[in-house]
Amino acid sequence: MSTVIGIAFGNTNSSIAYEKDGKVEVIANPDGDRFIPSTVSYVGSDEYSGLEAKAQLIRNAANTVTNFRDYLGKPFSNIDASAAKASSKPTDGGSAVAYKLERGNGEEAVSVDEIAVRHLTKLQEAAKDYIGKPIDGIVIAVPTDFDEATTKAVVKACEGAKMPVLQVISEPAAALLASDAGNAEISSGDRVSLVLDLGGIRSDAAVIATRGGVYTTLATHHAFGLGGNKLDDALVNYFAKEFEKKHKLNPLEDKRGVAKLVHESEAVKKTLSNTSSATFAIESLAGGIDYHGTVNRLRFELVAKAIFAEFNTFALEAVKKAGLDPLDVDEVLLVGGTANIPKIAKLLSSSFENATVVAPAVESKAVEPAELVARGAAIQAALVADFDESEIADSTQAVVTVAPHTTAPIGVKLADGSLKVIIPQDTPLPVKKSVVLPAKGSFFAQIYEGKHSIDEKEVTPTNDDDDSDFDDEPYTERTKKVEGTHLLGELGLDGITGDKVEVIVNITRELKLEISAREIGGAGVVRGVAGTAKLE
Amino acid sequence: MSLPTLPSGWASANSEGFVAHSAFTSPVKRQIEPVGPGFLAHARRTLRGRTWSEDEK
Ligand SMILES: Nc1ncnc2c1ncn2[C@@H]1O[C@H](COP(=O)(O)OP(=O)(O)OP(=O)(O)O)[C@@H](O)[C@H]1O
Ligand SMILES: [Mg+2]
Repeated sequence: MSTVIGIAFGNTNSSIAYEKDGKVEVIANPDGDRFIPSTVSYVGSDEYSGLEAKAQLIRNAANTVTNFRDYLGKPFSNIDASAAKASSKPTDGGSAVAYKLERGNGEEAVSVDEIAVRHLTKLQEAAKDYIGKPIDGIVIAVPTDFDEATTKAVVKACEGAKMPVLQVISEPAAALLASDAGNAEISSGDRVSLVLDLGGIRSDAAVIATRGGVYTTLATHHAFGLGGNKLDDALVNYFAKEFEKKHKLNPLEDKRGVAKLVHESEAVKKTLSNTSSATFAIESLAGGIDYHGTVNRLRFELVAKAIFAEFNTFALEAVKKAGLDPLDVDEVLLVGGTANIPKIAKLLSSSFENATVVAPAVESKAVEPAELVARGAAIQAALVADFDESEIADSTQAVVTVAPHTTAPIGVKLADGSLKVIIPQDTPLPVKKSVVLPAKGSFFAQIYEGKHSIDEKEVTPTNDDDDSDFDDEPYTERTKKVEGTHLLGELGLDGITGDKVEVIVNITRELKLEISAREIGGAGVVRGVAGTAKLE
Repeated sequence: MSLPTLPSGWASANSEGFVAHSAFTSPVKRQIEPVGPGFLAHARRTLRGRTWSEDEK
């Protein structure tokens, strides 16, 4: 059995996960960190990585490289340099982005590819140390907006770090896989998930339909610049103003003052995900004056109110892009470090009324959101560990990964006129599914294609209990419904002896719709081919 | 939640117990995510039925 691991490689943090005896764990590096800052720093000829490198942002920002992942495989003209505003400036290195760094031999240009290799090598060494064996292969996750060039650059960097890449998968699919493996009790089965990955410098969303354990991404959405750093900045500005009120000095005028505030603000923000108040202490913030105090969660929520609203809007936009209504979402899976913030989970709970929000603040069994991508990559790595290269290539070719999908639900009409969905919309074909329904004496199964719609009803609340804080504002109640709109075929049988009937819908590879119904506990069965669809 | 009973006359008019009406709406091609045990099962099924998919091309 080969030694394989999963890697999450973010702009802000990276993580390594390993599956052993069916259990997945996120590995700590020698410093004890499981969320390893994707940062590389040089002090003279010494190289620092992870948290030690990140600490250099205060004194040695010019020789510290952060937020570089999204620069891989892109010409300088295509990058957003503002992502590295607090660290070494990206420059045009010709074929790739480069940094001007002082590494003990005067200033030299270091390509982003080399920085990535240095960072990934640390991950490789940490994994090898922990497992006690060299790493034979990895599965790495990348965002859904990565194209061939950027993906290739990531793979090359992994290989440069002595980690052969078995497979590259998408971050949201990895996260969903990890969540499904960890939490069958929270949500499982066919559903529509909104996977919201809220990181440090970007937010990514994917709307994914799960059908029979197969994931289909229906839409993706990205917001660059929206992430935890923006929340840190909001706290930085708040602290700076408070400090200035008291001491008539603006700490933002000094670069080091800004860096200190950023560092402390991030710590305060993280503490406030778990407790209702946090203390802070900064030595010599400006004019030699120390700054310390406490701040509570409510204050933070006020200071960051507009940003929280942005996350919520971003989530709604993603669902709209998929052509769905918020009520169509069954699960909101929160991923990434910023997904730990209780207020964000709460806002999403009210925006997605039909959904289970999977986040630590609202669901105690949720897996730590910042671990999900690495865990999913590790699960996939274990699944393909013993495949040879050609087997993986075969399985990921288009004849396998591109499949026709239904565009509308198919179901059977019930006695009350409603439609019982058997095959939901967006199901990959071929598929065979059935339902068992009560029937007496005879049955009539009309198979319909259906349509989802939203019913809107104005509700004026009535104050029956003379409640003093009664809210009599009328509101719109929205409910989801599905109706049969298009009759596909009919099955009927008289004189059945049992009291249950199984209705089976089978769509073949040739797109033939075969329907049948059989009496359970009896011999009666009827069947036929309703029709054959054409591929668009 | 139960099935309706047969309308009168339906069984005698349709002795097979079946009537075809129409095909379902044309499906659209979408990419499925190549991850997880569900996908691997799908890949095995597809690759086994591959002679058919090669005919299709
Ligand atoms: N417990 C917490 N509460 C609030 N924020 C947190 C918590 N833990 C981490 N964060 C924040 O999460 C962000 C990092 O998220 P993550 O590790 O998912 O980054 P990433 O995937 O590298 O993201 P990106 O590529 O967007 O930079 C940072 O802004 C960090 O401050
Ligand atoms: Mg991320």
